[in-house]
Amino acid sequence: MERKIPEFGRFAEPSLLILVSLSDGPKHGYAIMQDVEGGTGRPMGAGTLYAALARLEEQGLVEPLPPVDRRRPYRLTAVGASNLAEQLRGLSEFAQMGLRQLGKPPP
Amino acid sequence: MRSLLIRCYPARWRARYGEEFAAILEERPLGPFDVADILLGALDAQLRLRGRRSDIQQGRGFSMSLRIGGLAAILGGAVFALGVVLGIGIVGNVEPVVPEILFVTGSLALLVALAGLSAFQARVHPFLSWAAVAITAAGTIVAIGGIVGLQLVAEEYWMAFILGTLGAFVGSTLFAIATFRTAALSRGAALLLGVSSILTIGAGQGGNILGPIPLVVTTLGFAVGWFMLGINAVRLDRPASEARPA
Repeated sequence: MERKIPEFGRFAEPSLLILVSLSDGPKHGYAIMQDVEGGTGRPMGAGTLYAALARLEEQGLVEPLPPVDRRRPYRLTAVGASNLAEQLRGLSEFAQMGLRQLGKPPP
Repeated sequence: MRSLLIRCYPARWRARYGEEFAAILEERPLGPFDVADILLGALDAQLRLRGRRSDIQQGRGFSMSLRIGGLAAILGGAVFALGVVLGIGIVGNVEPVVPEILFVTGSLALLVALAGLSAFQARVHPFLSWAAVAITAAGTIVAIGGIVGLQLVAEEYWMAFILGTLGAFVGSTLFAIATFRTAALSRGAALLLGVSSILTIGAGQGGNILGPIPLVVTTLGFAVGWFMLGINAVRLDRPASEARPA
């Protein structure tokens, strides 16, 4: 139980939010920021976005596409999609375990 | 300002991301939150490209967030209120420098809060958001100068300290107006902060027949206003798993 809580915290990281944002297709940076802010109600600054994007690109989870009017779209790679699915499954399992322990069966 | 911010990043980073990053910065007005976040991002890039940080697996970098702003708001409001309570001597005698240092510490925390909590307000009211930060920052510098003058030179520096401290209340009032108008955080908390900040400025003018009571009450309102905004922000900055659907 205690081993999973830090992993849960990791799900709040900007990189996960970016991966989720890119899961329905390529987006440029500003569109990712708007998507994340619209979905979470939390602001995402450009500094945070590019710090996370650079790391995701370095790890091969996202890849840049040719720029359009100075805006460069990014898309999930196959490895990124697999990584995202794995993280979301882990989160889902953790949530279901928590609900069971609360005596509230998952929907 | 935008090109200055981009220049804070390492040349290698600018060569790869500079053009698209500049395009993003032109999309909307830059507020204190954005500038703080970009400066932290530049620091992160500088350290990372120099190989001083290797935690790329977690994607953790330096970033400004509602959580940081919220925690600073809670701390700043509480420290300010403590400074007033100690400063007016209702809990016994304390060295005058103690509340003075508390006021300056509170102002510094509120500066972080003003930057961290102004992301959405600055897109609609960039002037109010920047003025709130600028006045509080200038006031903090004047207050620090006042404390140093009080300790090292003469009593005349008291007025500089008081005027500097008032900067935090003026800045809080402007931030409260921007927050109330945009409803970016709790409007009730913003209203409480704005009203109590204005009343504190009035109560601090002295000569009140009720003695220090109005000042204590208004400063507590100020602290509670910041506390409520801080709690609101920390709750909003919840994990992605709890995010509401788009």
